[in-house]
Amino acid sequence: MSELKDCPLQFHDFKAVDHLKVHPHYKAVLAHSEDDGISIEELDTLQLELETLLSSASQRLQQDKKGDRRFLKLGGDHELGAPPKYEKLKKQKLEGKVGHGPGPGPRGRGFLLDFLGPTTCHGPPRMIRFWASVEPYCADITSEKVCTLEKLLKPPEDEAEHYKLPPLRKHYSQRWAQQDLLEEQKDGAWAAAVTDKKKGLMGPLSQLHTKDLDALLKKSEAQHEQPEDGCPFGALMQRLLQALVKENITSPMEDSPIPDMSGKESGADGASTSPHNQNKPFSVPHTKSLESRIKEELIAQGLLESEDRPAEDSEDDILALSAHNRVEKHDMLRLGKGR
Amino acid sequence: MALVSADSRIAELLTELHQLIKQTQEERSRSEHNLVNIQKTHERMQTENKISPYYRTKLRGLYTTAKADAEAECNILRKALDKIAEIKSLLEERRIAAKIAGLYNDSEPPRKTMRRGVLMTLLQQSAMTLPLWIGKPGDKPPPLCGAIPASGDYVAKPGDKVAARVKAVDGDEQWILAEVVSYSHATNKYEVDDIDEEGKERHTLSRRRIIPLPQWKANPETDPEALFQKEQLVLALYPQTTCFYRALIHTPPQRPQDDYSVLFEDTSYADGYSPPLNVAQRWPSCMGTHLSS
Repeated sequence: MSELKDCPLQFHDFKAVDHLKVHPHYKAVLAHSEDDGISIEELDTLQLELETLLSSASQRLQQDKKGDRRFLKLGGDHELGAPPKYEKLKKQKLEGKVGHGPGPGPRGRGFLLDFLGPTTCHGPPRMIRFWASVEPYCADITSEKVCTLEKLLKPPEDEAEHYKLPPLRKHYSQRWAQQDLLEEQKDGAWAAAVTDKKKGLMGPLSQLHTKDLDALLKKSEAQHEQPEDGCPFGALMQRLLQALVKENITSPMEDSPIPDMSGKESGADGASTSPHNQNKPFSVPHTKSLESRIKEELIAQGLLESEDRPAEDSEDDILALSAHNRVEKHDMLRLGKGR
Repeated sequence: MALVSADSRIAELLTELHQLIKQTQEERSRSEHNLVNIQKTHERMQTENKISPYYRTKLRGLYTTAKADAEAECNILRKALDKIAEIKSLLEERRIAAKIAGLYNDSEPPRKTMRRGVLMTLLQQSAMTLPLWIGKPGDKPPPLCGAIPASGDYVAKPGDKVAARVKAVDGDEQWILAEVVSYSHATNKYEVDDIDEEGKERHTLSRRRIIPLPQWKANPETDPEALFQKEQLVLALYPQTTCFYRALIHTPPQRPQDDYSVLFEDTSYADGYSPPLNVAQRWPSCMGTHLSS
């Protein structure tokens, strides 16, 4: 015995319309004898009442039919035709996929419906939802989709402008230095205007002109750059020693062959001199071989990547994925056009 | 005379109708007994909270009987309603015949004008008694039922009510309620009469200037898709007038005998629309391709 809650029946209220209360004219007409008949004036109201009766009767008929169908389902008489048909459909689709022939392959909605027939519309909601979710994967490749695919696969034409780099502007350190100098100049000028008498005493920079400014800046830059020009060590060595000095691993001693980039570390004020003697000549022999030996050692340790890398494609997941997608799109386009 | 034979035919039909109604009531009383049984069984099943095979078989049998009864009742009711429609069409033919006969009768004043109040009452009655479309299960509402437009090649018959776009004396164009007199296939033009017969002349208009009005009401309970929806733009008959104006649907009817509630475009109101006014299902017609007005 099944529970009431499992029963799909809806216990509709099947009460008939109580014509005695709702349709007085109908009642009156019934009361007329054969001789009296119906008068023309009564036709309109009679029509309205009959329409209401018909409307409720046809709704009742609808409910009866639904109840009947539900009863059949409850009794297990209803054959869900979809499962066996689905097996057949699945087999066909698998064959189609393997063959890649013009026959099977991405079949359309029509194919599904042909197999399933009208059962889909009347089946249980779960089945309907399932087929609705599967449908986009089996839908026809329309001409719009073919156009979209072609657009996607078209090699990009005008990429040259994407590769153009805009010209480099002034480095921010230079820009800020210039701005700072201008600020000082302004302050100096203002102070000079206020006092009015003490010329040139308010700041060493108050009388500076723009070209003097530039010359000053260039000088400071040159002081920064000089150590680099003078250093014989390779870039790798420089980096390594810089890092070591930073960490205070090597103690700053006068006679140690510490290169001049420590000068860089001590600050942006170009005029300062480091505690280390910048001008001591370097006498480390075989700097180039030292550089290459250190490089080999680091690669062996796995701290540095070797420069001859393998082909990028095999390591780059994203490129591999996009190549795969491209292949898929080509296939879809071919199949779409083939139809 | 044709009028006399029409009268006798009408009398015949009325008698037949009376018979049908009596039969309907017999059918209904019979099925009522079955319906009461179904109700009792439902109640018992719900109180016991289980479905036994006994109940299942019994209920199934009751449902089958109820289905047969409902079908029989529907059939008889449809026959009765068809009979009423037949009587009404005969009455209409008689009216048109009388009108034509009146045109050639010099003793009567030409075009007896109706008082406005009488005209309005007639219009109201005509709107109320527009037949309701009740389709069988699976039927779709036909063209000219509620909001469903007429098919492209539809030709309105003499006596049909239409909305007609006419040019007034001052050059303004207006949609008026009119009755079709005739249609000429050669010129593709209708001859229509203004329903408000007060000294108005007959108009000859092309098909583009005519919108046939619905011939059935749609039942909101069974065919809500055949009704105009909220915010839809329509041409509706302004209450107590015989002219159509642009309006937006405010609320569609809930029951078959209810009216639409519409907002007429009216520049004398701040928001450009009148307060909601009731318009019977007969009058709103789809703007469709006539939006140029």
